[in-house]
Amino acid sequence: MDTVDDAVAGAEEEWRAYGVSRQDRVVLAADLRLDLQAAAADGVTPEQILGADVRDLARRLADEAGVLRAQPEYGRVVRTAMAGLVLGGCAGFIVVTIGHPVMVAWFDLPFRPPLWLALLVFCGTIAAPAVGGAVIAVRTRLADLPGIRRTANALILLLPVSGAVITPVMWWFATAVGHNPDLIMLIVAVEVALATAALVGAILLARMWSLRDGGHRGTTVAA
Amino acid sequence: MIAADSETSAGGDRQTQLLRGALDMCLLAMLAKEATHGYDLVRRLDAIGFEGVGYGTIYPLLTRMRRLGLVADELHASPAGPPRKVYALTESGRARLHAWREQWRRFVDTVNAALTDTIPDSDRS
Repeated sequence: MDTVDDAVAGAEEEWRAYGVSRQDRVVLAADLRLDLQAAAADGVTPEQILGADVRDLARRLADEAGVLRAQPEYGRVVRTAMAGLVLGGCAGFIVVTIGHPVMVAWFDLPFRPPLWLALLVFCGTIAAPAVGGAVIAVRTRLADLPGIRRTANALILLLPVSGAVITPVMWWFATAVGHNPDLIMLIVAVEVALATAALVGAILLARMWSLRDGGHRGTTVAA
Repeated sequence: MIAADSETSAGGDRQTQLLRGALDMCLLAMLAKEATHGYDLVRRLDAIGFEGVGYGTIYPLLTRMRRLGLVADELHASPAGPPRKVYALTESGRARLHAWREQWRRFVDTVNAALTDTIPDSDRS
């Protein structure tokens, strides 16, 4: 914490981690900078003023300023979204399993659909309820969390994107290792881990994204 | 001299608690005399005997008092260096200071009376 900039940056980092909205962070940082600059003009360093623990001071300032903090609650969001995702995905898989023979029996397509279209319909029938399940789960089970509507909206965008990104990777991995029956359990485990990592990453990103401006409007500190 | 730390840990904790209960009132009283900026308040507190009360204590307190409408701040140009945020008492702050001052006097009288009454005769000179 050698300079005013360092001190303010340290405080801002703590406010961000503490869930203070960007709008409030700007006001708090401007206040702090002004005081530190005034003290620096008197030859007093930021460390002399703030002490060694600038993070503690930053938290106390946020509390005393009365800003409402958006709690990220990443753990709850990931658990809930994943639970909804899995349930929705299972529902979609059941629909495909039951629906496919029924559709084949009922309809006789006058043309042979291209492979990509068939894959799109197949994957989409599983993915859409999975995403829907995640969104419904966080909206209904986590209604008490600030910014949860924005998180749910971000999930609608990011979950399909993560699926679209990870699917070729999984495909490439499966192709690269080949169909070795001795390694089938390991291969499946790696593929599940890849898919889980991508989905959890998307959920975390959605939550962070939805809170990047505080995620909600709380009490704004006076300028 | 009122220092944040004392010879013993227990004494220091007690001192800190006493300070915590009175510091906001002292700040209001100082601002009632003269509007000034945060760092100057730290210096003044130190000068009157509140040793060890740093900016880290004062600044959150000023922030809270501003939120409660007891003080207001405005930027004043400084002859040397950047503009300073000068705090001044509001009407609400003035009324609160008056109430707190009366409360403090009653409290001190009560405590003094209690201390005087409980001092054994043998300890009195």
